[in-house]
Amino acid sequence: MRSHFGHLVIYSGIVAVFFAVLTRRDRREQLKFGGLVWLGMAGGVLLLAYLMLPFPR
Amino acid sequence: MTESQPPGREAARAVSPGRALLAVLVGWLVPGAGHAMLGRLRRAALFFVLILGSFGLGLAHDGRLALYNDKERFLTGLQLLANVGIGPADAIARRNVYGEVAYAIPTESDPRYPARIDTFRKRQRSAVSAYGTAYLWTAGLMNLLLLLDVWDIAMRRKD
Repeated sequence: MRSHFGHLVIYSGIVAVFFAVLTRRDRREQLKFGGLVWLGMAGGVLLLAYLMLPFPR
Repeated sequence: MTESQPPGREAARAVSPGRALLAVLVGWLVPGAGHAMLGRLRRAALFFVLILGSFGLGLAHDGRLALYNDKERFLTGLQLLANVGIGPADAIARRNVYGEVAYAIPTESDPRYPARIDTFRKRQRSAVSAYGTAYLWTAGLMNLLLLLDVWDIAMRRKD
């Protein structure tokens, strides 16, 4: 797979689930923490990409 | 005094240091197996899938199986540590990729030098190698973190 976005979604998903299960015990807490980690990673990259948009390669 | 466990939670059991070390070793050999040994079966299964899934994605995307280089000891040492964290699966992968369980770049006079460097560079030049390397190293580092978690559970520092 060569899609950068696809890898971003999968990679951040793996990391988010891993740390949610590793650091939280309650199912609801895991969902909340995992969601935040995933959003932070995927959203952070998208935000960074948006901020870089005006700059040429 | 014994702690009362909430219903449905996995019970914390006292584990001897020897058994704790064994759990850490087993956890390194097979990701998640250390947790399984301590009775955390669901977590063990999930970690197994996550870590080996990441490792498999890394291999499928030409991830870098780092080779120790005398000229860059610190960086290549860290890369190697991230690779080896996954356990024997890394050795199997190296056998398939390099034709032997190789961990270092041989000296230039060594007859194995050209083939090993060529294989290493071919994978590195692949368009998806950066993704693969991230998956591979993340898998190894996640497994190393799990070993610390296994130790903490065994020592009853956490549930």
